[in-house]
Amino acid sequence: MTNLIRAEMFKLQRNKTFWVLLLTIIVLSTLLHYLIIIDWWQINETSFDTAGLSELNALSIFTVPLFFNLIVSTLAGFFISIEFSQSGVIKNQVISGNKRSTIFMAKSFIFSLGAIVVTILIPLVTAIILVILTGHGDIIDSSNLMYLGRAYGLFTLQFLGYTAIIMLLSIITDDSGKTIIISILFTIVMYAVEKLSKPPLIEMVYENSIFQQFSEVFKYTMTKGEIIKSMLIGVVTIIIVTLCGVFYFNRKEIK
Amino acid sequence: MDEYILRTNKLTKKYTNDFALEKVNISIKKGEIYGFIGKNGAGKSTMLRLITGLAFPTSGSIELFGNDNRNELINAQKRMGAIIENPALFPNMSAYENLEVHRLQKGIPGSVCIQETLELVGLSNTGKKKAKNFSLGMKQRLGLAIALLSDPEFLILDEPTNGLDPMGIVELRELIKKLNREKGLTVLISSHILSELHLLATSFGIIHKGKLLEELTAKELDEKCRQHLRIKVDDPIMGATVLEQNLSTTDFEVMQDGTLKLYKYLDDVRNVSRALTNHGLVIEHLSQNGDSLESYFSKLVGGHKE
Repeated sequence: MTNLIRAEMFKLQRNKTFWVLLLTIIVLSTLLHYLIIIDWWQINETSFDTAGLSELNALSIFTVPLFFNLIVSTLAGFFISIEFSQSGVIKNQVISGNKRSTIFMAKSFIFSLGAIVVTILIPLVTAIILVILTGHGDIIDSSNLMYLGRAYGLFTLQFLGYTAIIMLLSIITDDSGKTIIISILFTIVMYAVEKLSKPPLIEMVYENSIFQQFSEVFKYTMTKGEIIKSMLIGVVTIIIVTLCGVFYFNRKEIK
Repeated sequence: MDEYILRTNKLTKKYTNDFALEKVNISIKKGEIYGFIGKNGAGKSTMLRLITGLAFPTSGSIELFGNDNRNELINAQKRMGAIIENPALFPNMSAYENLEVHRLQKGIPGSVCIQETLELVGLSNTGKKKAKNFSLGMKQRLGLAIALLSDPEFLILDEPTNGLDPMGIVELRELIKKLNREKGLTVLISSHILSELHLLATSFGIIHKGKLLEELTAKELDEKCRQHLRIKVDDPIMGATVLEQNLSTTDFEVMQDGTLKLYKYLDDVRNVSRALTNHGLVIEHLSQNGDSLESYFSKLVGGHKE
């Protein structure tokens, strides 16, 4: 497993798409946060406003599935799916004498790590640096740090569930274009489910899914029960979807 | 006792209603260069994909290095290198980086093996040039380097000469022979270019429409393809004596049906005929026979010469 993780890390470090996404998000995040800090642009009624962290309002853009899916699916398409289609290097990996489940887990781990860095870590770090550099560092006190820690901890858990879904999708489709398109459609459907009225069963499923949690975890106050529920939803999603991925990959014929 | 590197037992692969492979049994002994011959679409690549674990058999079993359950097979694959269909490369990486990924994947300690393998396949001077800018021949060499990186005991090559120029084909052949001779590497090589396999393989498996038609050694194949005079006389024993005493040759065979196969005097049929008739033998049949590998293959698969 360690060998495979090192190999995946080596590949991620040389993946052009990863670096393009990383630089894009650094520039975009810096720009958006700067525009908000200088009051050139305003986003109101975000969870960060409630917490007294309005300088960090641009972070709310990076926590919307419709937005972060563009990053995650592009990375999945050009880091995972491409190995099945264009380059076919997955063949070498399967022949290498490693168990398919181990290969899947290593890929999933590094892909999720890359996605977390680009989607969560970069916006958060650039925001904090910018806030400090522009003299607003005092807003990040211990209680706000607690809030950010709790919110982003839980968000990361839900996000890992989401990357597991996209990982599964990228292995099923075998094609970077299809991965991106289908994942966009998927998030649009989930967005529609959130906004439109729905039958009780679907409402119950949605309310107990990571998609509901993406916004729930940023509430300024969460009860212990809500935190445990959120953690359970994230962990259960990760486990179930990853097991589905391993099951599928173990039976997949490599073309 | 012969040590088998690979054995398949009634290996079958079925896609909906079509059999890509049907009850194929092949055996490859340690140290052999096994040529897997078949037309395009005969089932060669399917067979190699099953052996390497890229696809799964519908029925039948595979035994690799004496292991036949799935987990043991995966472990046994560590002793194997393979190129299936096209060489699978990272286009945005150099030759060195491509090998580094595979070194890490296989857990090979130290990076000395990378330079050594690049030198072995003649790619040590490619520097930072990316694989996407390689010629087809260079890509094939890099694919071969990946397959050879872990110093495998068993090498599987699927149509490895695709894209190679004539010199490249000769170099590849010499390299495989050298590895086979010096390191005892066992090789399974598939191709539809028969002349190329004929110069390399020590045994052959001929596949057609998913069925293994024949498995034979190079010696047996040469015997079958060797040019000869086919002579049928009324007294085969007397005929053999005449060949030995009057034509001073022992390079002939008496077949079970009494036919004589004479491998000499191919350009002097009149002399043979005269010697036989002078001893009162009645010649019922006299013809020149023998196949090229291509025509032998064509006869076997019942098609036309490719």
